[in-house]
Amino acid sequence: MDNRRKYAVIDPATGKIDRRIFSDRAVYDDEMEKIFGRAWLMIGHESLVPRPDDFFHTYMGEDPVILTRDGRGDLHALLNMCRHRGNRVVRCDDGNANRFLCTYHGWTYRNDGALDHVPGRAEAYYDALDRDSLGLVKARVETYAGIVFATWAKDAPSLEAYLGDARWYLDTVFNRRDGGMQALGPMKWLEPVNWKTMADNCSDNYHVPTSHLSSARVQSTFLGRPRLSHKDQFESPNKHAFVNGHSITFRDADDNVPRYVHGVSSETFQMFQDYHDATMPEVERRLGALRAHRVQLGNHSIFPNGILGFRLALPRGPLQTEFWHFVLVDREAPEALKRVIRIGSQANNGAAGMFEQDDVDNWRQVTSASASRLGRRYPQDLSMGLGHAGPHPDYPGLVSERYISENNQRLFYQRWEEFMNAESWADVAIEPIKARFEGTATMQG
Amino acid sequence: MKKKRARPASRKAEAPRGVTPAQALWLELMPFYIREAWLLDERRLTEWLELFTDDVLYFMPRRKNVPRRELHRELTPLGDLAILEEDKRYLAMRVARLDTGMAWAEDPPSRTRHLVGNLEVTPLEAGEVTPLEGGEVQARTAFLVYRSHLETDHQILSGYREDVLRRAEGGWKIARRTIVLDANVLLDKNLSVFL
Repeated sequence: MDNRRKYAVIDPATGKIDRRIFSDRAVYDDEMEKIFGRAWLMIGHESLVPRPDDFFHTYMGEDPVILTRDGRGDLHALLNMCRHRGNRVVRCDDGNANRFLCTYHGWTYRNDGALDHVPGRAEAYYDALDRDSLGLVKARVETYAGIVFATWAKDAPSLEAYLGDARWYLDTVFNRRDGGMQALGPMKWLEPVNWKTMADNCSDNYHVPTSHLSSARVQSTFLGRPRLSHKDQFESPNKHAFVNGHSITFRDADDNVPRYVHGVSSETFQMFQDYHDATMPEVERRLGALRAHRVQLGNHSIFPNGILGFRLALPRGPLQTEFWHFVLVDREAPEALKRVIRIGSQANNGAAGMFEQDDVDNWRQVTSASASRLGRRYPQDLSMGLGHAGPHPDYPGLVSERYISENNQRLFYQRWEEFMNAESWADVAIEPIKARFEGTATMQG
Repeated sequence: MKKKRARPASRKAEAPRGVTPAQALWLELMPFYIREAWLLDERRLTEWLELFTDDVLYFMPRRKNVPRRELHRELTPLGDLAILEEDKRYLAMRVARLDTGMAWAEDPPSRTRHLVGNLEVTPLEAGEVTPLEGGEVQARTAFLVYRSHLETDHQILSGYREDVLRRAEGGWKIARRTIVLDANVLLDKNLSVFL
């Protein structure tokens, strides 16, 4: 076997996918190296570290990482591991500090990672310790509209190239306002699920009328939200698009309707409409007319583990994932609207979320079945909509003809294969940026 | 004694001899919490919902790792992202959801056991209960809730509740409940049971 093609887990012609990738320890260990050791990973948001010397504790895959803003305002992603023995130098979730103390032997680091103080440098180490080479291990950091990404790979392309034309869609939420967004959270919990199922579910609108019917029904009755049915989903003009591993679903309709988010109800709808109308001139200036009026980002995932925007699926072994739920709101939105979105989002998503709690047992059984010697003889079937996606005259990426499709999932697993079979970033294809980014919005907001 | 038992619960019961008003209140509230625990464990959630006032806030903040000197930041304040921040309508919606037969997190339902204790009724001054505005009292309880789900999933949820209770016709009602879990990363697959 060609060892450069170690993984051939999805048959693009049939959509059959080998279940072992959801449960094998060896595959998982390889993922930590080839995907989480290589890709640009979402790790935080600038609003979580707004002031000099703020820090926020996060993860890149399983590795603990401190996101810091140093005294000059620069961001750093530092492996939370003392270079002496390996103890963590931060044990808090967030805070403000310009030094991090290792509680084992007292080595102390600046918040830009430099090793600042070693007890007994002269007396115990005879001034022979090379402090400059023993700073906290640093990842490359770049931001997109306030969202902080980091990578361990020195040969990774720029974040702009990594996001590519996916940003054309992502901008419609994350780059909508001049004032940017503000992150609230995270709430954290452990799910007995392989991380990939959470990522692939982001484009799975097929599950919604079955998995979430109970919540949709009571929300129609109690909140006046629209009814949800398979028929609506099948007839929806919305579409899927796929770029560079990132799975996008988007609303494709020029009808001046505000983005349908958590918190929308018959009582609050006008509030959303007013905000939509009041901000439209700004949005049009920032994103251009086509995106401002016609395109609204829906569910999506950012490769590998960004879930529905700025939420994280942090792998914790092949059979477990730590889920971090954040809510992002426009910083300059009226406080009343922020409150409605926050409360709506936390009622629906998160460990106690009415929608999200119904996903877990479905997903965990997908994971469990993959560990079964018998079950794994039978591949997953991701054949929906095969042959019904391609380039689109107006929209970047590979676009599905219909909203309900498994096109993005097939492409997600093909991207996964590409990463897993690559020796370096040189073997990972990056689509050139082709979309017309009208308006003033940039990577920096 | 019979006469006393017939007294409407909305009126303050007279303390038996040798029992301070604070102790009497404690004796009145402990059975309230025991009854609530049974309602939850017996899945009598419509009755459970009646224990809350219409203006209830059912709140579960997040709990962070912070240094000891910054413990004031340990619990996220109201207005930050919470685990739960529900009004009566949202609670009713959650209960109604379970009756659709399609609330998959709880169908089949969890088996729970709510053990509620360590009741403290505050504020207490010199043995006297100082009722808050509108005849409200604050009551704090600790809980251990065992949850077993499907075949082998199980979890113990530990924490405390801080309630504001209001006297109402037919007994006490919970006007505000703050639930604080003794966990940072929640170890359960979801939080689909009530605390």
